[in-house]
Amino acid sequence: MVKNIIYKEFKGYFRNLNSIFLPLIFFFLIISIFPLLVGPDKNLLNKIIPGIVWITIIFTTVLSSNNFFKDEYNDGFIETYLTSDTSIELILFFKILLCWIFTCLPIIFFIPIVSIFFDIPLKNSFVILFTLIVGSPILVSIGIFGSSLTLGMSKNNVLAPVITLPFYIPILIFSASAIESVSSGLPYEMQLYILMALLFFILPIMPYLLKYTLTLSINN
Amino acid sequence: MNISKIANLKFFFTNTKNLSKFLGLFTFILFFCGIYWGLFVAPSDYLQGESYRIMYLHVPAAWLSLQVYMFMAITGFVSLVWKVKIMEIISIQCAPIGAYFTLIALVTGMVWGKPTWGTYWVWDARLTSELILLFLYIGVIALYSAFSDKRQAVKITSLLAIVGLVNIPIIHYSVEWWNTLHQGPSVTKFEQPSMHISMLLPLLYMFLVFNVYFIAVLIKRVQLGIYNREKRSKWMEDYLSD
Repeated sequence: MVKNIIYKEFKGYFRNLNSIFLPLIFFFLIISIFPLLVGPDKNLLNKIIPGIVWITIIFTTVLSSNNFFKDEYNDGFIETYLTSDTSIELILFFKILLCWIFTCLPIIFFIPIVSIFFDIPLKNSFVILFTLIVGSPILVSIGIFGSSLTLGMSKNNVLAPVITLPFYIPILIFSASAIESVSSGLPYEMQLYILMALLFFILPIMPYLLKYTLTLSINN
Repeated sequence: MNISKIANLKFFFTNTKNLSKFLGLFTFILFFCGIYWGLFVAPSDYLQGESYRIMYLHVPAAWLSLQVYMFMAITGFVSLVWKVKIMEIISIQCAPIGAYFTLIALVTGMVWGKPTWGTYWVWDARLTSELILLFLYIGVIALYSAFSDKRQAVKITSLLAIVGLVNIPIIHYSVEWWNTLHQGPSVTKFEQPSMHISMLLPLLYMFLVFNVYFIAVLIKRVQLGIYNREKRSKWMEDYLSD
């Protein structure tokens, strides 16, 4: 049962290849708009590029996770999951994972190309890559938590981001500071360890939290 | 008197009317005593002169802003676990009060910052985490007002408040850590020397006054919340028509 649902989900993403390419195009658009806004000064761009990458990742995760449960809520699938004897936590975990794989992972693959555009040294680029790999699943899962809180409100598109963005802050701080430390030659391992700790703290409890939120939302 | 009786909505609504009036008046008197003590009796600071006196509003408001969030999350937890109706109302009515306290702390801090730091705003760790606290409050209020079914809204917002309570220390320490990494000694050199007792006493007194004020406003708001929820029920109509 769980396997079938995940397979269906997987196929859904794959059928709609736009869902992979459009976040990527969006990412590159935002990245290329920034030099137009702040001017083509290479040193300045080099300094602010980690921030730009992270801002763009925030946008992407907010957009992709905003109406995460909408279709399933409207179709009544969530009630079915909750009342069936399959493990909904497992389904939710894989749903988070798939959402991350199809929205954030393509962007992470293209970080090396961004580093060429902005002339980032290889080592810094690796640290950016690592912070993204560790940090973006947390952002995705927090975004999905926000969308589970605003379940069934189709009118409010900005509400979930407004609620969840404050929770992004620790992850953003540690990622940005790891990138800044490596670009100024300081030790950066500690920030990465903290990020990993946050990942392994948040990701396992998130399915349970989501299940509880969904039960609260459904039991009206 | 047992707890379940006090927790009864009708009992609370019909019995706290005079209490809230009394507490309101009491706060008024206490507040003016405290303002007099802080503004006129307490000695002026040798470093900051008279401008430090805004502390008597700023510091209690900042303490209360955190305390009210904790109170909101704990009552929210109680309402989720034991399904106590009155706790639901108390929890959600805390949010606007806490947001106001946060706003007071931020604005008075800015007013104090202009003569002391030379600017209204610095991206200092404490200021930033207070600002984030304001955003957390706004998130709770926005989420509550987005629901049309208010009982449902309270459950969801209590959950958000609890998650926020877990997150506040993480946010606070990360912001503090971020700040120490980014900023030079421009802020830390204003570090306060430990306070003299003649300045500390009015501060603690004001903290007490703010607490009484919080309770008075909370009771008033909870009455309003009970009215909004129960206005179609029989006992409310009977009570109001009397």
